Amino acid sequence: MNLFGLASRNLKRRPVRTSLSILGVGLAVGSALALMSLSRSIDASTREGFDEMGDDLVVMQKGASDIFGGFIPEDTVERVAAVAGVARAAGELFMFAPAGNERSLLTQGWADGSYLWKKVPLREGRVPGAGERAVAVLGEGAAASLGKKLDDSVEIFGQKFNVIGIANYTSTINRGLVLLPLTDLQAASLRPHQVTVIHVNTARGTPPADTGRVKGAIDALGGLSAATADEVLSKDRNFKILDAVSLAISIIAVLMGAIYVLNALIMATQERTREIGVFAAIGWSKRLIMASIVVEGVLLCVAGCVLGLGLSFAASLAFPHIPAIGDLVSFKPNAALIVPTLAAALLLCVAGSLLPAWRAVRMLPAEALRRL
Amino acid sequence: MKAGRATAANAEADSGPGMAVTSAANSPDSGCAGAAKPTPLIALRGVSRLHDGGAIAALTDIDLAIEAGDCVAVVGASGSGKSSLVNMLCGIDFPSAGSVLWNGRPVATQRQWARLRRTAIGIVFQEFNLIPTLTAIENVELALFGRGIAASRRQARAAIMLYRVGLEQRMHNAVTTLSGGERQRVAIARALVNAPRLLLADEPTGSLDSVNALLVAELLFKLSQELGMTTVLVTHDEALAARCPRRVRIKDGRVVEDLGSITAAPPVAAEPATPEHTVSTP
Repeated sequence: MNLFGLASRNLKRRPVRTSLSILGVGLAVGSALALMSLSRSIDASTREGFDEMGDDLVVMQKGASDIFGGFIPEDTVERVAAVAGVARAAGELFMFAPAGNERSLLTQGWADGSYLWKKVPLREGRVPGAGERAVAVLGEGAAASLGKKLDDSVEIFGQKFNVIGIANYTSTINRGLVLLPLTDLQAASLRPHQVTVIHVNTARGTPPADTGRVKGAIDALGGLSAATADEVLSKDRNFKILDAVSLAISIIAVLMGAIYVLNALIMATQERTREIGVFAAIGWSKRLIMASIVVEGVLLCVAGCVLGLGLSFAASLAFPHIPAIGDLVSFKPNAALIVPTLAAALLLCVAGSLLPAWRAVRMLPAEALRRL
Repeated sequence: MKAGRATAANAEADSGPGMAVTSAANSPDSGCAGAAKPTPLIALRGVSRLHDGGAIAALTDIDLAIEAGDCVAVVGASGSGKSSLVNMLCGIDFPSAGSVLWNGRPVATQRQWARLRRTAIGIVFQEFNLIPTLTAIENVELALFGRGIAASRRQARAAIMLYRVGLEQRMHNAVTTLSGGERQRVAIARALVNAPRLLLADEPTGSLDSVNALLVAELLFKLSQELGMTTVLVTHDEALAARCPRRVRIKDGRVVEDLGSITAAPPVAAEPATPEHTVSTP
């Protein structure tokens, strides 16, 4: 027998309390992992979406706080396209648009003849022809969640659009897209002649265009800011808020887990005061007594972490099947999230175990032995 | 019982083999002019223990010296301060005034006391104080924790000790399944597994029926003698106390009588009541 064996016996002695404590830690760790993972997944999904569009640079209104916040005159697209080193540029109006039944879908408006239409990976149907109006191409996810197929109509901003194509994008965010002719979306959203972002492909010739110089040249046009997708997302206020909220809630969740451990151990040490007195009476040092209690806390925490990990993976399997979540984000816990979250949980549990351990050894053995 | 002498294994630097086995308080003059008085193994000097801010005095100005090999019975009525005295002797409680000396040196900190309890003092309680979730052998093994002894060695030593108290057949049983007498034998094994120099037994038979009380008392005296331990036995049982050469009577927290002699007749060993209660020795 060793300290782990002793701690394990003590935990098995009160199975209901131990199970509830493990469940508490598990839910806390699972929640923290799920939240952090969700936040990172939204970020990653958006990044994948940009990558799938093949952007080298994304041009936004200078000072825009997020990717939805730009107000760029549509004719600016031509000025950007004319910058040296720019192979092509396409304006895009980008927003969450009401799609009936209190649902909002990520909707993009592209100009007639934009190169973006040519890159749509159609599963079936077609993209709009020049001058064609009141038509829509849906991402597979959007089509599935709306229950629409070719030739059905979809309602955006209260206006009906005929579904003429279904696109099978690979990124989660693009799978949930509704693609409309730019003019239609501008009119429906009351933003005539405006785009939100301009997608830019730099020249691929020999030598390839210097992205830094192209960015500088676009910035010099005035009122614009060119950046890579990574730079755009890292500066995006919405993502910063999302990350901050997720982190805060995760910290609270993990703290709650530590409090579960603290509570369980305080109860356990109070009930076992006499036993702790026995340990002291047979010569256990304070350090050894404290270690025995901390080991118990660590065992609770490890069991809770394993449960929490299992719950977070179960969530990652289940969430994609929930349309409101699966349409927008992919949910993937990974080692970069799991390791620090579990490490934080373990550290907090050890810290939470130290208080009851310290309380236990503070008492004189004779006093502890008098306790019932 | 004849007071045992400290064995070579137990004897530490300052308690040599020639140490007289007698009580400091009552030892007659050795008859050797100029012979140095041996340093007591443990001594209380002016020890008082007050509770409730001094309203209750559990012990008042106790002076008591116990030398290596002594067998001392501490007797007195309930509430007289016997257990408080034992608590002072093993440092699980601290004096409000006075000091406790081990081999002539004051023991002042909990750390020092913990070390002594880990290596040199064994305690047997009236209430057994075993850990109910553990087996007999695991309970004994607990006393070897924190000494840098490998788990296999701990188990071996615990098993040997349980064999000596006659529990070799039940060492892997949970202590909750053992009888009162068996539990107390586990507690004795736990107290002795570290080969302590001082054994403190606080009413070791107080929770047992008469048959088991006799067996446990017999076992204690036998092992104490075999291992050459200094023994302090707290009891309100005068017959049990009479088996110790030295008797200290406590009343209202004071030593009112301290009788003892190295010439005291050895106690008569009681016969086991039934064969199954026979204590085995290896």
